[in-house]
Amino acid sequence: MSSNNNPLSPHLQIYKWQISSLLSIAHRIVGVINIFAITLICLWSASLALGEANYEVINFFLRSFFGKFFIVSLCWTFSFHILNEIRHLTWDFGYGFDPKISKITGIIVFFGSFILTTIIYLWGIFFI
Amino acid sequence: MNNATKKWLFLKCSSVTLIPLMFWFIINLSLIYESEYSDVFNFFSTQSTKILFSTFIIVAFFFSSLTISEIFEDYIHNERTKNVANKVLYIFAIIIPLLTIISIFNLTL
Repeated sequence: MSSNNNPLSPHLQIYKWQISSLLSIAHRIVGVINIFAITLICLWSASLALGEANYEVINFFLRSFFGKFFIVSLCWTFSFHILNEIRHLTWDFGYGFDPKISKITGIIVFFGSFILTTIIYLWGIFFI
Repeated sequence: MNNATKKWLFLKCSSVTLIPLMFWFIINLSLIYESEYSDVFNFFSTQSTKILFSTFIIVAFFFSSLTISEIFEDYIHNERTKNVANKVLYIFAIIIPLLTIISIFNLTL
């Protein structure tokens, strides 16, 4: 088997935990979770073509406690990913590199993701 | 322009496109997830939803395949394993959106 001598990234336990590393690791994990969730949503939307009987099975899950938990979790993973991606884009434009600013924006992303989740979920309840 | 720069530009362009689409999708999902079959069917049958949802999943899978391949680059040392993982990832990122788009474009009111 072929292999090269490029260094691998260190394992997670080597890092000293701080807001920047926490958000960086969470951003990757949340990104992977999001694509699995989007795949499930693709299957959900495709199931519409199979008729009402098949859809009812999925609808039963979505109306249950676990279904609601799945949707609220998805609201959070999307909110977190959106806010942290905006943070990354501002870095790309050369802003927010100062450690103090970076820490503040990190805290805003973390708490902002919960606030945004609440807004999106309540929007869904009150505008239905 | 070298490949790394191209990849970075593709990543940034797709992330800028993805942000409003993610907003649009998650808000609509929270509105419809508990709805009856007919309501969800009507939602996915409208032309604007078909276009926006298709764009969303194409960009999402494109963005994800680029970012997950970066994770493979960081954590998989064996070249052959990495190549196989990337190929599986790219096939997955083509097939899932393609099947979904075909399904939702066949939904008619």
